[in-house]
Amino acid sequence: MTAVDSSRPAYAGLPGRSLLRLGPVSVQVRRRAVLVAAVTAVLLAAAVVLSLSLGTPYVAPADVLRSLSGAGTPYDLVVRDLRLPRIVLAATAGAAFGVAGTLIQSVARNPLASPDVIGITQGAGLAATVAITTGAAAVLVAPAALLGGLAAALLLLALGARHGLAAQRFVLAGVAVAFALRALTEVVMLSADPIDGLRAQIWLIGTLAGRGWSETAWIALTLAVLLPVLAWAGWALNGAALDDDTARGIGLRPVARRVGLAVTGVVLAATVTAQVGAVDFVALVAPQVARRLVRAERPPLVCAALVGALLLVLADLVGRRLFAPTQLPAGVLTAAIGGPYLMLLLVRRRRRRSA
Amino acid sequence: MNRTPDTPGPMLSTRDVTVGYDERTVLDGLDVDLPTDAFTVIVGPNACGKSTLLRTMARLLTPRRGTVLLDGTAIRDLPTREVARRLGVLPQSPLVPEGVTVADLVGRGRQPYQRWWRQWSEQDSAAVDRAMAQADVAGLADRPVDTLSGGQRQRVWIAMTLAQDTEALLLDEPTTFLDLAHQVEVLDLLHRLRAERGRTVVAVLHDLNQAARYADHLIAMREGGVVAAGPPREILTADLVRDVFGLDCVVVPCPVTGAPLVVPGLTSPSLARPTAPAARPSVADADLPRVDSYPSKGI
Repeated sequence: MTAVDSSRPAYAGLPGRSLLRLGPVSVQVRRRAVLVAAVTAVLLAAAVVLSLSLGTPYVAPADVLRSLSGAGTPYDLVVRDLRLPRIVLAATAGAAFGVAGTLIQSVARNPLASPDVIGITQGAGLAATVAITTGAAAVLVAPAALLGGLAAALLLLALGARHGLAAQRFVLAGVAVAFALRALTEVVMLSADPIDGLRAQIWLIGTLAGRGWSETAWIALTLAVLLPVLAWAGWALNGAALDDDTARGIGLRPVARRVGLAVTGVVLAATVTAQVGAVDFVALVAPQVARRLVRAERPPLVCAALVGALLLVLADLVGRRLFAPTQLPAGVLTAAIGGPYLMLLLVRRRRRRSA
Repeated sequence: MNRTPDTPGPMLSTRDVTVGYDERTVLDGLDVDLPTDAFTVIVGPNACGKSTLLRTMARLLTPRRGTVLLDGTAIRDLPTREVARRLGVLPQSPLVPEGVTVADLVGRGRQPYQRWWRQWSEQDSAAVDRAMAQADVAGLADRPVDTLSGGQRQRVWIAMTLAQDTEALLLDEPTTFLDLAHQVEVLDLLHRLRAERGRTVVAVLHDLNQAARYADHLIAMREGGVVAAGPPREILTADLVRDVFGLDCVVVPCPVTGAPLVVPGLTSPSLARPTAPAARPSVADADLPRVDSYPSKGI
């Protein structure tokens, strides 16, 4: 038997964690997560300023800051009216993707699960394609996509519910739903007018061009409504990695918990996808990058959100500038950045394992 | 801990419990009482329902019929968090979350005392430190669990259930997949918890001799029913082993502890080789060492 280490203070919490207290409320925070969040937030701010500054015309960062502060500069139109809405949308949507991805990956217990793997994106895509190709008003595309994403989520939950939403069933059901919906989308697109088909194609890739405040408002509203749920989810994720017997043993209700986390994740994913289109990879990559930076068994939601925001702002910036004046949709860039980065992580990890 | 010393009767018991999966009935109307402050071991052949019984008593399985009683109250009527403060469970092969550290995993045992707005307290820290010290894993606190050996890992899981601060501990085959030295290490830990901390310990074990060595109370099961229950020295006989496992054997006193030691009978004549070195006695006239000729300590 080892004696209790008396050098540890009486309420040290767990190693690497600090305890934030406010009256009866006490919250555990990983110190490394705070550091990661702070650094990511600074990088995000820098990326936003850079993105506001680059383009035609170029606006010096100092002028960007002056314009943002409301000083009234000749650049207000470019900075505040043309670029800012789109960049704020990128940050908001990226953050929401990061959170949705974290929740979905924890339920699936699979780092490769994301809204586009389990069919949410495809549901939204099918509904959006139908709306676009049948000539529905443009304002109806987003609501249709939202309903499509939620319908796919319902189908997924119904397929997985009989088995208590067990991880493997959840992923398999999702992959099946995704394939079926993608096939249907192809059918709709092929039988449609080619111009409409092309518009649908661009929606399916996902772009922030021509989007702004109203899309941001919808995502922000959803995040605000879900905030209390997310506060719970941040804590509930701790137990989500345990197997069901162990979880029941420590007094958790794993099935109810999984359903809660999955519903929150898919609602969020469907909302964002409906607003910005099928931007792939952010929801997949952001939680994994955040997890590795924090060096924890799962990423804290705040870190995943910040990494997601940074990723999408950068993807949008590069997409705008790389082949300017031709703009690449952000969805192309997220895939181009996200894919290789994830592969790099996997290779590095395997090397460390075998070392 | 929550109990008053004069609480009568067993802490955990089953009344007319029937459990099954799909069509198959595994336990049929079982009445079992687990004595308080004892180390109870459940033994029996594969698929006899011993794990099912343990999982049912730990409320991981819901019986089709009948009741599991925890201190006289039906366990299904108690909130699962409250049960988790009185009953710790270690499932057969728990999944280690990737990258989780020892202290982190042991800290999960404090879940039944926490809420999302009250995530940690002084008691939690104290309980985690105490649990890690008892299971002798304090030195590993910052190590990722998936880098530990099987024996260390099992001690970490036991520490997690100890952090729950429960009066009883239920373990499903805690020694399977461990080598002999680690098996003894885990069983010694469970024995100490019973002897020094007064916990009620219940475990499913495969090895009859280990069961006889460590158990205060033995439950032998066959085909979903209890064949015998009581102190191993009273009930573990050649007849019982034949009845439960269908195996002929000789039961002799263990040279170290004096507990019953089950030695399978001669199942094939060719096993009884007259051994070449003259020093080794033949099985037929086995000159079994006397109990008192062995040191009783230091094993």
